[in-house]
Amino acid sequence: MAMTVDQIADAMYKEVEEATNFGKKLKPMDLTKAMLKAYEEEGVDKKMCKSAIKNLVDSGRLVYTYFGGSYLELPHREGAAND
Amino acid sequence: MPKEYKTPKLDELEKGPWPSFVKEIKLAAKKSEMSNDLLGQLEQSYNEKLGHWKHGGIVGVMGYGGGVIGRYSDLPDKYPSVSHFHTIRVNQPSGWFYTSDALRTICDIWEKHGSGLTNMHGSTGDMVFLGTTTDHLEPVFKDLTEAGWDLGGSGSDMRTPSCCVGPGRCEWACYDTLQRCYDITMRYQDELHRPAFPYKWKFKFAGCPNDCVASIARADISVIGTWKDDIRVDADQVKTYADEGLDIFNDVVLNCPAKCMRYDGEKKEISIDNKDCRRCMHCINVMPKALRPGVEQGATILIGAKAPIVEGALLSSVLIPFLDIDDEEEFEAFCDLIEEMQDVWCEEGKNRERVGEFIQRVGMGNFLEAVGVEPIPEMVAYPRDNPYVFYEDFYEDEDE
Amino acid sequence: MADAAPQRITDIGPPDFQQFLPPVVKANYGKWKYHEIVEPGVMVHVAESGDELYTIRAGSPRLLAIDTIRFYADLADKYCDGHLRFTSRHNVEFLTTKKENVAKIRAEIEANGNPVGGMGRSITSIVHTQGWVHCHSAATDASGVVKAVMDEVIDYFKEEKLPAKCRIALACCLNMCGAVHCSDIAILGIHRKPPRIDHKNLDKICEIPNLSASCPTAAIRPATVEGMPSVEVIEEQCMYCANCFTVCPAMPIADPENDGVSIWVGGKVSNARSEPQFSKLAIPFIPNNPPRWPEVTEAIVKIIEVWAANARPYERMGEWIERVGWPRFFKLTGIPFEKEHIDDFKHAGLSFKRSAHLTHEA
Repeated sequence: MAMTVDQIADAMYKEVEEATNFGKKLKPMDLTKAMLKAYEEEGVDKKMCKSAIKNLVDSGRLVYTYFGGSYLELPHREGAAND
Repeated sequence: MPKEYKTPKLDELEKGPWPSFVKEIKLAAKKSEMSNDLLGQLEQSYNEKLGHWKHGGIVGVMGYGGGVIGRYSDLPDKYPSVSHFHTIRVNQPSGWFYTSDALRTICDIWEKHGSGLTNMHGSTGDMVFLGTTTDHLEPVFKDLTEAGWDLGGSGSDMRTPSCCVGPGRCEWACYDTLQRCYDITMRYQDELHRPAFPYKWKFKFAGCPNDCVASIARADISVIGTWKDDIRVDADQVKTYADEGLDIFNDVVLNCPAKCMRYDGEKKEISIDNKDCRRCMHCINVMPKALRPGVEQGATILIGAKAPIVEGALLSSVLIPFLDIDDEEEFEAFCDLIEEMQDVWCEEGKNRERVGEFIQRVGMGNFLEAVGVEPIPEMVAYPRDNPYVFYEDFYEDEDE
Repeated sequence: MADAAPQRITDIGPPDFQQFLPPVVKANYGKWKYHEIVEPGVMVHVAESGDELYTIRAGSPRLLAIDTIRFYADLADKYCDGHLRFTSRHNVEFLTTKKENVAKIRAEIEANGNPVGGMGRSITSIVHTQGWVHCHSAATDASGVVKAVMDEVIDYFKEEKLPAKCRIALACCLNMCGAVHCSDIAILGIHRKPPRIDHKNLDKICEIPNLSASCPTAAIRPATVEGMPSVEVIEEQCMYCANCFTVCPAMPIADPENDGVSIWVGGKVSNARSEPQFSKLAIPFIPNNPPRWPEVTEAIVKIIEVWAANARPYERMGEWIERVGWPRFFKLTGIPFEKEHIDDFKHAGLSFKRSAHLTHEA
């Protein structure tokens, strides 16, 4: 069964959730690599991963962050933000 | 009533003949509480010799991972209006050409949504809007895009490409820098707005080897105009320069790095051995009416420049000695190569590793192999002078 | 994060530059024949067609209030049919086909406090970064130092009286958001003290393996401090680059007494005559002395004057030093040569003098 972009997005979201629990940040390329490793046989390619990331960010489920490198994280309050 | 800050230190910088940034901040402070608090905080920095900004990492506009740099005061109680003071990068038009109307639109948008302070321009080339709050980010983005503007890059993405004035106003432009800068910017909008690389990825387009955009020092991909055929010489103009007192022998000929020029002082004639010419531009710079680049024009593509962080500064080095980048087919091939390089660098690059550092780490030879480019002598200043060669293939005993 | 509007416009890119080109540029696009500087800060480009385009270049503080931009726009309307551009070094340029407008533009822009110049054998505007005005990692201010330096060297902006062009740039930390490392004179903000570690918050806001990996000299090691996961810094290995602070805000490095600027000389990006090259260290450290950094401006004026008095025509700073040798540079400028001038990072030996090519005095 070939995976859909939505399914890839869900799998990516799960990866980010798990990483967050371990205090780890993931870059878009980390997610793409993880998806390719796990699901390449199910037809997942880089282009689909790119679309999945776009869906995740456009829908607000994940946000880009920058701390010396660009990451994808669960939306959260900015550490440096003032009240 | 806005607070009135006493700024004796900054006031010192209103004096003197060079235009004053303090005057600009004060001008903006008349209309903007933010700029007023900026003035107060900056005076405190001048007193303490210490900056007072915190770096944010999350704020941005929906869907983009670049274009907004989060900034917060570390003295929010004292300077509440700069508690949030984010930067917005707005992608400049090629060559920084504007009409007055376009600039007024930009100003109106920024008056409505931010401090009224800008940089024209930031070092990378963007228009920079200095200082707004998180809740203004979406509205300012909406107003900008409706007026036909978009954000530039930041973070680990393609940074806003920039170019020199090129064929718009320069006789030395050896390809259409304005157009190719625009083409690359438009083709890679996704890469510009959604960071997917190990680190920043910069493109700069210079029309000739004078490199007015400093591409060789700053761009991961430096595109520098050059030519293949002979320098065009207008013999009458050479004579005119001589008659007007130019010391052609000392100032032009002796400064030629290739020693490929001769000057006959009696006849007032220049001769050039073009096969040895290094396309340095010196003679053309000195005698623009008499000498011009040849007509078979294109660009040299170089790769890998960067500032010191992390592993040390690098200048770009030659990847393709000559490419007719104005030709659509060759331009497509150039884009294919860019994408190939992106893939290799994304696959193997470490966080915050620029492509130049990546090449240093894996070896230029291996990099070339991975992206399918043949090694050629133009790529090196000289071949290696150490014998520590890595061979992947060698003869086994039975091959002998 | 605000909600997405129903019809969001994204990824449209910048406006097509074509719509902003003056008609004379459109008509002569790629067909310019030559140019000449007709007076300091004013040049004329002549096209194959015979059309002429005058450019008036004026210095600006880069940090501009919108009121000033509107003033530029009004001036462009008055004299340039609404057309203007900016240069890669923050100057504003007014473009007109009417020769008679040149003097008027000059008069009005100068009356506003913007000097006309920055062409040819001059010092043009200083490329610089944000400094204390807007940056979290600045080791010095940017705009203030630049203003103080330009006040001193403005005559070199307004007139062409140097051997060659002289490009000055300032970066307020080693990140170098401006391309300062290839400038005739580079002013670089530096820290001189290892980062302080906020052990209480470090693990909460930073990823420790990432932080360790960020150090170019491997001076940062994971460590448990008071029962909390954190890091330790091997201070002898720290060269204060602040890369760790960029990756992890719990490693603040700024320090009022130890931050300041260094001065670098002899770099260039142009290929003219000699190949592009990096700037080299001239003065390792000058403490921050706001608001006018007098020690910095004095050093820069001295370097410029020595170069101007000794270089041959067309010789950039680095080319002059290359010809006469670094010992002469230090002697003539009176800058003391110290241990810090000798490289001790990777490939340091390449910068040692590896020949007997020296000048001697009898």
